Amino acid sequence: MSDIIEIQGVTKTFDHHVAVDDLALKVPERSIYGFIGPNGSGKTTTIRMIMNILYPDRGSIRIFGREQSGSQIARIGYLPEERGLYRKMRLRELIQFHAELKGVSNTGKEADYWLERFDLAPWAKKKLETLSKGMSQKVQFIVTIIDKPELVILDEPFSGLDPVNAELIREVILDLRKTGSTVIFSTHDMTVAEKMCDFIFMIYRGKKVLDGTLQSIQEQFGQDTLRVSVAEGAVDFSGIDGIDRVHDFGRLQEVRLKPGTDPQQVLAGLITRNRLTRFEMASPSLEDIFIRIAKPQRNDQNE
Amino acid sequence: MTKMNKTLVIAKREYIAAVRTKGFIITMLLLPIFMGGGFIVMALTQDKVDLTDKRIAVIDQSGLVGQHLVESAEMRNQNFVLDSATGEKKAPAYYIELIELDEADPERQKLELSDRVRSKEITSFLTVGPDILHPVPGDEASRAAYYSEQSLMDEARSWIGYVLNDRLRQIRVEELGLDATVVSDLFSTINLERMGLSRVDSRTGGIKDARKSNEFEAIVVPYVLLFLMFISIMMSAATLLNAVMEEKSERIAEVLLGSVSPTQFMMGKVLGGLAVSLTTTIIYILGGILMMNRFEMADLIPYSILPWFFIYMLLHIIMVGSAFAGLGAICNDSKDAQAIQFPAMLPLILPMFMVMPVIQNPLGGLATWASLFPPFTPMLMLIRQATQVTIPVWQLVVGLVGVVLFTILSVWIGGRLFRANIIIHGRRPRFGVLLRQVFR
Repeated sequence: MSDIIEIQGVTKTFDHHVAVDDLALKVPERSIYGFIGPNGSGKTTTIRMIMNILYPDRGSIRIFGREQSGSQIARIGYLPEERGLYRKMRLRELIQFHAELKGVSNTGKEADYWLERFDLAPWAKKKLETLSKGMSQKVQFIVTIIDKPELVILDEPFSGLDPVNAELIREVILDLRKTGSTVIFSTHDMTVAEKMCDFIFMIYRGKKVLDGTLQSIQEQFGQDTLRVSVAEGAVDFSGIDGIDRVHDFGRLQEVRLKPGTDPQQVLAGLITRNRLTRFEMASPSLEDIFIRIAKPQRNDQNE
Repeated sequence: MTKMNKTLVIAKREYIAAVRTKGFIITMLLLPIFMGGGFIVMALTQDKVDLTDKRIAVIDQSGLVGQHLVESAEMRNQNFVLDSATGEKKAPAYYIELIELDEADPERQKLELSDRVRSKEITSFLTVGPDILHPVPGDEASRAAYYSEQSLMDEARSWIGYVLNDRLRQIRVEELGLDATVVSDLFSTINLERMGLSRVDSRTGGIKDARKSNEFEAIVVPYVLLFLMFISIMMSAATLLNAVMEEKSERIAEVLLGSVSPTQFMMGKVLGGLAVSLTTTIIYILGGILMMNRFEMADLIPYSILPWFFIYMLLHIIMVGSAFAGLGAICNDSKDAQAIQFPAMLPLILPMFMVMPVIQNPLGGLATWASLFPPFTPMLMLIRQATQVTIPVWQLVVGLVGVVLFTILSVWIGGRLFRANIIIHGRRPRFGVLLRQVFR
């Protein structure tokens, strides 16, 4: 598998703020790559540089094996994080307009196909301004992928979508991959990233902090996580040594152990205090890993 | 898909979006009404004569003209007030009332007469000095004065002036002992006809007789062409400032930049505006030509100017459109856009204030230099060319080269600003930052 995107030593500075710092990243062909990271950490800047909308101060970005120059954007479908459409246009016309810009030959037929697939056909002749937010989200997605681009870059494609529509989009993304496209998307939903992505890339304060398959990332952190449940109420952890942090999900408590702690001792302590219905040793979830990386400095980075 | 095609797809959308709006259709219909309206009102009011009779009091200290005025007025009332064929009243009658001078207090008498005018009892009054026959400059006694509420625009005043002078000349001729019939044409005045210049007829090759020049050619043709140019810019290029700002603030720009380059995006918008302007101006010009043919004014149509009109319009729209698109990209919201709008509009509005001096003196210093200043050239050179004078060829060449160069510069700067700012939100960048963006 060759790499469809190769980023090397890329740095981008705005005024005095380093948005992306010496970034290196390779995206293999036909993969689904998830970009995660807190708000303002550099995801969108990275994506915009890949799209040739922003230019790196240093470093090189190669796309489809060539230096990014702008001529390749025709082969990329791009859904920006903040997106708008011409509100005065009618839905079908708007889709045709975007399809025409992307060089789709039979724009009318394509428009009808996607309107049908996304349950938007009844609105085809309506103006965009009459559509709900969820509907325009779907339209945004349609115009991004209508030419079945080789590379699809989606900046938060699922935000604001209900589960039914999110499922629709997930299906189309998987279809695209089947037909040979490479997909990059950014998300704040760690479960989606865990389930969908072949590779996960996390950027934090402009620097790459995670990059690899979910498994390889989890291996870095070892099996330091316990999942515990009791029959009724919350688990009582009082007086048990070696517990770093408890993440309470309500019916389930996820416990991070301090390094070097023996899980058997924790189990022994728990049994004396609780009626356990579940005790499981696991790798940390992506969400937990995200929080471990991003939390310590939360106060000074939240934007 | 080629680069040009994408630009055209953007242009096509812009064009359809603009032409389809109700605003566009309403403007298309209303504009000629507004523009024509002024001229129509002028034409209508010119023929509208005030038909109320005039009563004029006369204090004739010379004793030479009073009686003559009474008789002339009577004669005029008999012959000219009613249309001889229809019997319809076509002019007001004049009634002269002779009044003795109040030697004791002439100023009071004038005040009393003025009050009578104000109470509409009389229309006006006339005083004639005792030495009116052989006037001495500066001498009070040889003056004549006409008093009314609106003496400047008063038709009766010109009639009295004419009759009075005619009578005085008659007396002077008699004093010289000449026979009045012999000298009848001594005082006839010749009216100078206003003519343009002779030119070669392009169709027959013969010499075409000079045309009678009139207000229409001298003022209306340049003015209408200029107005058309101004409107075409306002309808297309000038709207780009807000349009681009909206696309930026509604985040449409970044979506489009996923498919097209900033340059294609900007030029597509400019070309779309150009197409809108071409549509409107071609419709108006064809309409104008049809109208003028219908009213048998076909030889007044300035065909030789029309190619220049379109060349200037094309360049002007690209020049202004690019600059405005660049400026629009700097703005984050309509507040920013409003702040920039007025200074940006100045180069478009200033030439409008120079129209009259330029039409009156197309070869003067102001006209020449202002029309060679590239942002003004499309408008001012056009109206100079539309007048009847011949503009030196070097000025046309310098003007055109200037506009072309300035247009290229404007596209370059506009493109730079557009590219650098179209997706950057937050505060409007300071001037220094903009300069860096342009010249980096």
